[in-house]
Amino acid sequence: MKRILNSLVFLTALTWCSESYAQEKSITGTVTSSEDGQPLSGASVVVVGTSIGTSTGEDGRFTIKVPVGKSQLEVGHVDYTMNRVSIGAASSLTIRLVQDAGQLKDVVVVGYGTQKKSDITGAISSIKGADLTQLSTQRVDQALQGRAAGVMVLNTDGAPGGNTTIRVRGMNSINGGNNALIVIDGLQGGNLNSLNPNDIESIEILKDASATAIYGAQGANGVVLITTKLGKKGKPMIGYNYSYGLSVLRKKLDVMNAADFAKTINANALTRNGSGATPLPIFSDAEVKKYETNGGTDWQDVIYRTAPIQNHELSMSGGTDNLKYLVSGGYLNQQGILVNSEYQRFSLRANLKTDITKWAGFGLSWAGSKEAGNSPPFGSADVSFLGNSVNVAPRWAPTEPIYDANGNYSIHRPGYGAPDTWNPLASAVEPNIDNNTIRNVLNAYLEFKPLAGLSLKITGGANIINTNNRIYHNLKTYEGKQSNGLGISFESTGLNYQNSNIITYDKAIQKHHFTITAVAEQQYYKSNFSSVRARDFLVDQTGVYNLGGANIVTPTSDADERVLNSYLGRINYQYADRYLFTASYRADGSSVFGTNNKWGYFPSGSVAWRASEENFVKNLDVFSNLKIRVSWGITGNQGISPYQTISRIGSGSNYPYNGGDGTDLGFFIANAPNPDLKWESTEQTDFGIDVGLFKGRLTITADYYKKITTDLLMSRTLSGYTGFTSIIDNVGSIENRGIELELAGDPWVGVFKWNTGFNISANRNKVLDLGSVDRIGYRTTKGGYSVNDPFMYLIKGESFGQIYGYHYEGTWKEADAKAAAAYGQLPGDRKFTDGNGDGVINKKDLTVIGQAFPDFIYGWTNRLSYKNVELTFLIQGTRGNDLFNMGRIRMENPGEGTSTALLNRWTTSNQNTDVPAFIDAKTREKANLTSKILIGGDQRISRWVEDGSYLRLKNINLSYNIPKPLTDRLHLNAIKAFLSATNLVTLTRYSGYDPEVSSYNGNDAQIGVDFSNYPQSKIFNIGLNVSF
Amino acid sequence: MRNFHQHIKGVGLILLSIVGVISSCKKLTETPKSFVTPETFYTTPSQVEATFAGAMNTLWDYWAGYGYGFNDFINDDQLDGGDLVIAANHGSDLWNRHYAAIGNLNSAIRAMKKGSLGAGTSQAVLDGLMAQAKFLRAYNYFMLVRMFGALPLLTEDVQDPVTAKIARSPVADVYKLIVSDFMEATQKLPAKWPAAQPGRPTSGAAKGLLAKAYLTMATAPLKDASNYQKAADLAKQVMLAGNYSLVADISKTFSIETKYGPEMMWSFNSNYADINTDPQIYKPGQLGGWGDMRVQREWEQAYPATPRKAAYLLTEINGIPYTKWPDEQNPFIKKFMYDKQDDFDNYSSIMNMPIIRYADVLLIFAEADNMAAGHPTQAAVDAINQVIDRANGYMANAAHPKLTTAMSKEAFDMAVIEERNQELCFEYDRWFDLVRKRMLREKSIPLIQKNFTDDDYLFPIPDNDIQLNPLLVQNAGY
Repeated sequence: MKRILNSLVFLTALTWCSESYAQEKSITGTVTSSEDGQPLSGASVVVVGTSIGTSTGEDGRFTIKVPVGKSQLEVGHVDYTMNRVSIGAASSLTIRLVQDAGQLKDVVVVGYGTQKKSDITGAISSIKGADLTQLSTQRVDQALQGRAAGVMVLNTDGAPGGNTTIRVRGMNSINGGNNALIVIDGLQGGNLNSLNPNDIESIEILKDASATAIYGAQGANGVVLITTKLGKKGKPMIGYNYSYGLSVLRKKLDVMNAADFAKTINANALTRNGSGATPLPIFSDAEVKKYETNGGTDWQDVIYRTAPIQNHELSMSGGTDNLKYLVSGGYLNQQGILVNSEYQRFSLRANLKTDITKWAGFGLSWAGSKEAGNSPPFGSADVSFLGNSVNVAPRWAPTEPIYDANGNYSIHRPGYGAPDTWNPLASAVEPNIDNNTIRNVLNAYLEFKPLAGLSLKITGGANIINTNNRIYHNLKTYEGKQSNGLGISFESTGLNYQNSNIITYDKAIQKHHFTITAVAEQQYYKSNFSSVRARDFLVDQTGVYNLGGANIVTPTSDADERVLNSYLGRINYQYADRYLFTASYRADGSSVFGTNNKWGYFPSGSVAWRASEENFVKNLDVFSNLKIRVSWGITGNQGISPYQTISRIGSGSNYPYNGGDGTDLGFFIANAPNPDLKWESTEQTDFGIDVGLFKGRLTITADYYKKITTDLLMSRTLSGYTGFTSIIDNVGSIENRGIELELAGDPWVGVFKWNTGFNISANRNKVLDLGSVDRIGYRTTKGGYSVNDPFMYLIKGESFGQIYGYHYEGTWKEADAKAAAAYGQLPGDRKFTDGNGDGVINKKDLTVIGQAFPDFIYGWTNRLSYKNVELTFLIQGTRGNDLFNMGRIRMENPGEGTSTALLNRWTTSNQNTDVPAFIDAKTREKANLTSKILIGGDQRISRWVEDGSYLRLKNINLSYNIPKPLTDRLHLNAIKAFLSATNLVTLTRYSGYDPEVSSYNGNDAQIGVDFSNYPQSKIFNIGLNVSF
Repeated sequence: MRNFHQHIKGVGLILLSIVGVISSCKKLTETPKSFVTPETFYTTPSQVEATFAGAMNTLWDYWAGYGYGFNDFINDDQLDGGDLVIAANHGSDLWNRHYAAIGNLNSAIRAMKKGSLGAGTSQAVLDGLMAQAKFLRAYNYFMLVRMFGALPLLTEDVQDPVTAKIARSPVADVYKLIVSDFMEATQKLPAKWPAAQPGRPTSGAAKGLLAKAYLTMATAPLKDASNYQKAADLAKQVMLAGNYSLVADISKTFSIETKYGPEMMWSFNSNYADINTDPQIYKPGQLGGWGDMRVQREWEQAYPATPRKAAYLLTEINGIPYTKWPDEQNPFIKKFMYDKQDDFDNYSSIMNMPIIRYADVLLIFAEADNMAAGHPTQAAVDAINQVIDRANGYMANAAHPKLTTAMSKEAFDMAVIEERNQELCFEYDRWFDLVRKRMLREKSIPLIQKNFTDDDYLFPIPDNDIQLNPLLVQNAGY
């Protein structure tokens, strides 16, 4: 309130003082384009040395009053180079503006301001909104994939509205989170999923410390700045976009048909002839014959479908001299390929910008969205994998029918395939999952320009998120059966307020040019949630919608607050447009830090030399741009949850202490206090070069960076006798080094146009220190897969994503029978590398069997056009990353497995295979060998590690613009029709559903495991964009 | 120039407005709304009792702690799959859980001593709470000292265990605290709680456990024989008080009806609102279980055929003995499989795991009295014969005869230990008998006997604790 009051006082003062001009001269003039002489509307005209300004009308004309003693006008326009003219004695002027040569003059959004692209000293990738709207999924995060060097986007699952992991220049943190800070129109902590890509004007990705340090304790993981659109001056533009698409399962897993499956099960059953037993086959010959004729159930066909997607967007934008606006709405309905999965998004946005006076402006925006998503549980979801339809469908016996004779979901016959698993269709269709998120983002600012070059912007924003989820597992589901109905009701509210007060002063004195930015900012975040988990329902039909009908109800709730108070400043200094310096400093006071470390300080500095402005380079006539950049800075990660520095008495340890029917409240000390806890800090150095050749038709940007993150937030192990096993503390350190290369150009200009961009980046990551331990293992499993010991490791001296286990060489051949016998194995048995050569395979032979992060990632964008036809496509991929394909462990498990790999099992005539033979017990008894493979059933073996590299035609889009005469006749501005496809072609050796997957995302050390995640789909789209 | 001044004034106002905004900044001090800290907790009796529930919950956890703790005792002669090559960190989970419970109990005791409950709480209520806290702490230390030997001894006097660096206290010192805590509990706990609270520890349970502690002190490693008499006296007190008795029907010893008495004195509790680990862990695949716990064949074969054997062990299904089963050719544990089929199908186990029960008290008395007197007294014989008689279904059984006063002290002692073996099987008891009687080697099957060393009588101190606190010395052999 105080703020608004002050602003009003200030406003009044300004209005008052504006009346006091005297002794002035009226000048009229016209601003035209130097190329065609056409008048330019919307050009700004300012009397140099004052704040007196105006802009040109439709006819390019202006009138301005120039005080005595002022002799120059500065005339500018968005698309043209700024021009300064002397007034002299004239009272009427014609000013010609030259069109900007190219993107060098583009304005780039940086933290708390904008800069000309040519003045940038840091490493920033820019993406135009126009390039984003091509993906049929209409998701901004997914649309970033492959478009900027150093930015890794991983679609961890393929569910509609699914999850992505975005990493800028590798992983700095283990537990502090590695997500880039999202800033939408200056408001920090935004969400990409809820954004309508069509509303985006531009995206900037800040990568090096000189660009990100201005965000201090939140900047370590890079910053994604999003600017939304505003209308342009002129008559209202109305646009309508429609698209319709179909998505299909990209690839099916190779499973056996019913007859092959029955035969394989029988073959395995017959091996149980030990101790003189005579085993019987499970399936009779008649049954096998029946399967041969009639086939069986293809469970993947049962749960996956061809699913429609439709998207509508309507927008209206426009403006007058002092008012610009955009109003847009979108509706996306994406059905998932897995039955009973869907994502819906309603979004609305209103952006408004107005000039109140010549010195004061005002902006307001509101963005609202409602997302509704549901999908049956998959991957590492918090339910048993036995009722996870993605898991069970490919491994349910194809011999089983969907429904039994009574029309109920069939139940797996014991011994006829994967035990305990629940009917896949029931697992997919029966869970009632209803997740809803409503977001309201409000953002307003007042901007004052009391003096030439001086601006004060006061912004206030709020981001309000309401989530309500209703989940019910009825009696036909695995979870529901166990709990006699399981319902979960979840509500949460998150409020994020931000106030930033930004002073910018820009001054040029001869060849010196300064821009000073000073900001005082506060952010306040508050959230609370309540959740009820109820089981044992009396009436299954009403389920979670009648929680009163549950016998056992466990409520939980929590509330959090977090405060961040910040002061920051930045100086940009340029000399003669060729020597550029930037220095910034930020102080962040955060409530989540320990009492002894409330304030963190984040400096940065950078220098750039625009060699292309030097005469000796100009004389070469080769470079249209040549800039060398160096930057250094420190950024932070405040990824600490509130209250972690305080000892908490937690509820939820209930126990029937009294011995009654109910449970008694149990409270427990959840953690030890740590008053020293502080932010993680990342020190980054960057060397970069920007090159423009052939008059800007080819641009090259290359960067090398090195980041060292220290004070990693990790749980430091405590002696167990303290009553705690660990405490959150600042221990450990990680290094990331990398190179990035971006090439862009226009190889063909003219009628046939080709604009292309290629980017490639390689990040090398190294764990330098893990505190008191030299490795940390993660148990990435739901159980039931015999990988009960950790296999995803962080190891000191190695990179993230070490997959750890036994090296599997395949099977023993008959020729090696003697060598096999030494390990107690028969030909056809598993062969492991005896790393230490001690004659036994045991824990001492554990080794690194895979590496989950790629050697490099790349993307190649293309835009080809000929007259009214345009073809765009994006190819992207990764190279050198491994995946642990956990699902195969049970799919290829003899006696239950359905994988066709079992048909390729070792036999005397098929010895060149890594699938072990079915060897009967009698043969083993006769051989009388003692196994030297002492790893039990441990499945941490390299047999399941596969190359996850891929190259993918991520998106291809063919569009046709209806010719102008035709649209004119229809009284339309433009019509574009298009066909597009997503994930059309994928080249990979990976045998799972898709190489782009990560089932465990608790932290980045666990990335690289594929376990029954929602598969990726292939999507075909057709659409129409109309504007009038 | 005037314009300029006006502008300066404007700028001044801007700066003022910023100062105004910043001065209204939120403070950086955290004041959580959804929880309190140990400094502000323990202010009502119910809050202190919530600590007791929390402490028990950490020990009897779903798929963890004693809720799934057999793997830590798999090296005894009852369970299949032991190897007597005890690895680093064996038992570390139980170590952490017991100490977590102790940390919470110490915190409550410290707060109560400082008067956190306030003047409104009567001395009787305070005594009752203090006695429960001490009882629970003594139980935790009693478990720990038998697994790990000398221990870092944390009491309410250690303000901050995280920063305190402490060494291991000798076994005798640990028992000193156990005896003193249990002693306080025997004096201040009620003999009976109201009917709605049958699960709480009573003075009888405290006496039973103190008797067991004395009995253990009389055997290895302390071997202070003077404790036999103390054990016998306490057990006798429980027997004379008449609050507990054997369940007459052996097949009902473990059942829903007898979860809280007359035989059960104190146990880990489960109910539908707080189920135990899935019952499937006990049953073989043929019965829809997962067969996690298998019984060692040799041990089962030595177990005399009695109604008790049929009640406690699963050795056949529909008349087919386990030796003829297609796979999993092992006996299984039956005594805890008393859930209804519906509960089994719903993965709900509501069984209680005994910690101290009357049969144990009778056997403690028999052993202690015999050893104290130097020969089996009539009272000792009567005590053990109650257990034997019930096991035999109150019929004479040559394979499992009653004992007599005519036996030698040694023969009687061995018979008591064997009776404990059979009666208290799978109740987290056998391992400790093997340890205190130093007969692990002798009772192990030949296959793993060769791996035996004297070091196996103690679990290793967890690696973490050793690495982080140089004052801790590892047990021999690890």
